[in-house]
Amino acid sequence: MFGFLYRRLLYMIPTVFLISVVTFVIIQLPPGDYLDTLAAELSDSGGLDEGTMQALRDQYGLGQPMYVQYLKWMSQILFHGNFGISFEKNIPVNDIIWDKLGWTFAISLMTLLFIWMTALPIGIYSAVRKYSAGDYIATFFGFIGLAVPNFLLALVMMYVAFKYFGQSVGGLVSPQYLGEPWTFDKFLDLLAHIWMPIVVVGTSGAAALIRIMRANLLDELYRPYVVTARAKGMSEFQLLLKYPVRVALNPFVSTIGWILPTLVSGEIIVAVVMNLPTTGPLLLRALLVQDMYLAGSLILLVSILTVIGTLVSDLLLAWIDPRIRYQ
Amino acid sequence: MSKQRNLKSVLIGSVAMASLTMLHMGTALAADFKEAPQLAEKVKAGELPSVEERLPKSPLVMEPITSVGEYGGTLRRAILGGGDQHNIVRLIGSENLVRWSPNWSSIEPNIAESFEVSDDATTFTFKLRDGMKWSDGEPFTADDIMFWYEVLLDERLTPSKHPNFVETAGPVQVKKIDDTTVEFKFEEPNGLFLQNMAYGFGYYVVNFPKHYLAQFHIDHNPDVQKLVDAEPAAADWVQLFNLKAGPMHTPIFWQNADRPTLHPWHLKNGYGATERVVAERNPYFWKVDPDGQQLPYIDQITWDQVEDVEAILLKAFNGEIDYMARHIGRPVNLAALTDNKDRGKYDFYQVGDIPGSQTALMFNLNNADPVKNEIVNNLDFRKAVSHAVDREAINDIVYLGAGNPVQTAPHPLSPFYNEEWAKHSTSYDPEKAGALLDSIGLDKKDEDGFRLGPDGERFTLVFLVADVFGWQYPDVMELVAGYAKDVGLDFQVRASDRSRLFEIVSSGEHDAYLWNCPGGLVDAYANPDCYLPRGQAVFWAPKWAAWGADPSTGTEPPEEIKELFEIYRGVTSTADPAKQEESLVKLIDSASKQLLTVGLIQSNGAFGIARNNLRNHVDPMPIAGQLWTPAPYTSQFYFEGGDNLP
Repeated sequence: MFGFLYRRLLYMIPTVFLISVVTFVIIQLPPGDYLDTLAAELSDSGGLDEGTMQALRDQYGLGQPMYVQYLKWMSQILFHGNFGISFEKNIPVNDIIWDKLGWTFAISLMTLLFIWMTALPIGIYSAVRKYSAGDYIATFFGFIGLAVPNFLLALVMMYVAFKYFGQSVGGLVSPQYLGEPWTFDKFLDLLAHIWMPIVVVGTSGAAALIRIMRANLLDELYRPYVVTARAKGMSEFQLLLKYPVRVALNPFVSTIGWILPTLVSGEIIVAVVMNLPTTGPLLLRALLVQDMYLAGSLILLVSILTVIGTLVSDLLLAWIDPRIRYQ
Repeated sequence: MSKQRNLKSVLIGSVAMASLTMLHMGTALAADFKEAPQLAEKVKAGELPSVEERLPKSPLVMEPITSVGEYGGTLRRAILGGGDQHNIVRLIGSENLVRWSPNWSSIEPNIAESFEVSDDATTFTFKLRDGMKWSDGEPFTADDIMFWYEVLLDERLTPSKHPNFVETAGPVQVKKIDDTTVEFKFEEPNGLFLQNMAYGFGYYVVNFPKHYLAQFHIDHNPDVQKLVDAEPAAADWVQLFNLKAGPMHTPIFWQNADRPTLHPWHLKNGYGATERVVAERNPYFWKVDPDGQQLPYIDQITWDQVEDVEAILLKAFNGEIDYMARHIGRPVNLAALTDNKDRGKYDFYQVGDIPGSQTALMFNLNNADPVKNEIVNNLDFRKAVSHAVDREAINDIVYLGAGNPVQTAPHPLSPFYNEEWAKHSTSYDPEKAGALLDSIGLDKKDEDGFRLGPDGERFTLVFLVADVFGWQYPDVMELVAGYAKDVGLDFQVRASDRSRLFEIVSSGEHDAYLWNCPGGLVDAYANPDCYLPRGQAVFWAPKWAAWGADPSTGTEPPEEIKELFEIYRGVTSTADPAKQEESLVKLIDSASKQLLTVGLIQSNGAFGIARNNLRNHVDPMPIAGQLWTPAPYTSQFYFEGGDNLP
């Protein structure tokens, strides 16, 4: 067990290193740099003269070769925990991202809980009551959830909230609480807003898991060990949860590692549409304007989370499914 | 609807240069000034000096747009998460030595109490207001302008200088006469200098608070290294200085909330890092109304940071936007905004956003490919393209009929409107286009029906488009490519993001692209960028433009283009408005005959929304590339009733 953990942790080092290199290179691949974006954006108001451009280019160290920029960036992260400076905002990346990562993480976790809380019982129900009215209804909504793009669902929900409930939409709190310190009222206001992104981001994930759960459980339900247990007089509900469901849970657990990055990336457009204070819009904007340290840091952190998530799901999987061995 | 109101009465105005002699404005004023209640409280508490001490000896008395106002309220806006600093600049950032009148017709004193221009347009003297202060209470004097001048001349800090302040002989000579008088002197006449000082970029000279910025300058602070060490974003003092003294039209300026300004509101937090940008009243603001009330009336301004333009629309419907044209004032949004105007408690105002062309086809007349270069430089080719496109259809389909289907030319509201220029080669006539193309040797076609070039290959031009201002350019270009195909021309459409497009066109590596042209109204004087090759906003002949700026670079243009430069010199080398107008008309006439760009649609202006109780905003509001409105007039905005509508 510990040998396994130790090996896995060692493997993570080259993985993360490769991710960081690829990240950095990909961000630099498009022609131009942040200053070209800035100049383009300013062209309508008279532009940016060459002198100012040059001064800014020197200031940001954009003239240096890519590997120098990479080494500088990496060594600052490793030895000082400094992720560099955001070109566009002129403040350390550290000052921008943690707050937003926190929100991203919070929303992701809550979405995960939402997915499990809906997908698990519905999946079990539709497997056990196969071809019943409830199964058809669940299937119907499941397919809708899969088919509707998240951002569209977000738009529709925002429209409904705006049109019929007169709610101020977009953001996680109402405008009067923006930038104010946390109070109980602000917290209640947050609760009134945060369910929307959770439902929007969670719907498609839940729909997929319902289908997987149903299929997996159907495979298990008629296995001999279930029949044996039932023949021995075990109560149906206990039996269900103790054996076939436990085995069928495999996909729930094994996808934990991916669910985080999926939520983070699937959430980008939703976050832009719903104006959430998460990393999504920040990353999109950073990529668009080639704010490379900010974009690089975000991608790197999300990648590390993925690697950690995969490890966690592997461990959980081994714990939950006795058939899996560490070898 | 008020939006339909005619622009004419207000927007026109011949360019009127202000009187060339010394102007003395509004100095006779009762000594008892009034101030906002929140400031009065601070004075009482001893946190602020009295209003008389805060104001200059002769504050600028602003003639109200409609009425004298009352204090209070928060002006609420929305701002995009990045690159949207002009959202702040255009609302509160443009206080220059001189300003354009609200209808963009004459130049009036602003930070300068008065100004004087020599008859030969070489010497400009500005008299500053005695006792004027920065937003932190420190005095603003001629020394601050001299500090800017020091930075301008410093090769380390300003390796290349803004064109407003340089001429062929070198940078302008700036001299401090006394604490409140500064003289700008050019070797040669500079007839547009005063205009340029009233436009956005004139801001440079009055945005260098010496008492604050000197600490980041090694000549003034030998210990500057300590500050460098404390700033993670800077590696040496030059970087540090550039960071603290960054240009106002870039994000840097608005990320530094410490820098004192002369603006009516002053930032409380930097742009970009938080969910809401807040600017609060500058207690030392130097404008008053005729009753002696210190401006601004409105307590503070907030910009909620959003990521998506549609979110701004929803905010507007919900009554969370008090005044805004930016991002939402497009024809496609008009219907939805009208439907929700009772709910959002707002109404429309007219925005005089009138370019020479909203959409123009710009062929690269300096194409590196000799075959393509020869063809696009043939006037008959450009005429053929112009006749091949159906402008009416484009106007109806993409612009919902809101524009004029004309060439790049001054708008009918402009004092130089000329129908001949506007209608030149604009008739939709594919047959004529085909005949013209046949006549210039593009008369052979391949099996797909596309014309062959002189080299026997299919003649293809690649058009770059970017999805700026919504999807209008990609949409227009698809239609144009269809019309081109009808006459056998192969126009390829390549969509790109704006920065990549800008990079390609500014280096001249494009065949052609779609963009807009300034010069629809009075801005034709200072921004004739589509009437002759110059500037850094449009690129239809980058190499000629480089030659025009400095004949030792670029490519020497043909005679008819050289002549345009010569004619334009007639605008810049005199301060006599009549002579300037004569030259400008000649310039546009000559450029129009050469069909340098193929204009498609000209807009008739845009609109914005203002809450029902917002007063004193200019309607119609003129706006242009360098005219950073309504900033010089926002300090007069007020809410009737002293607060936002609920």
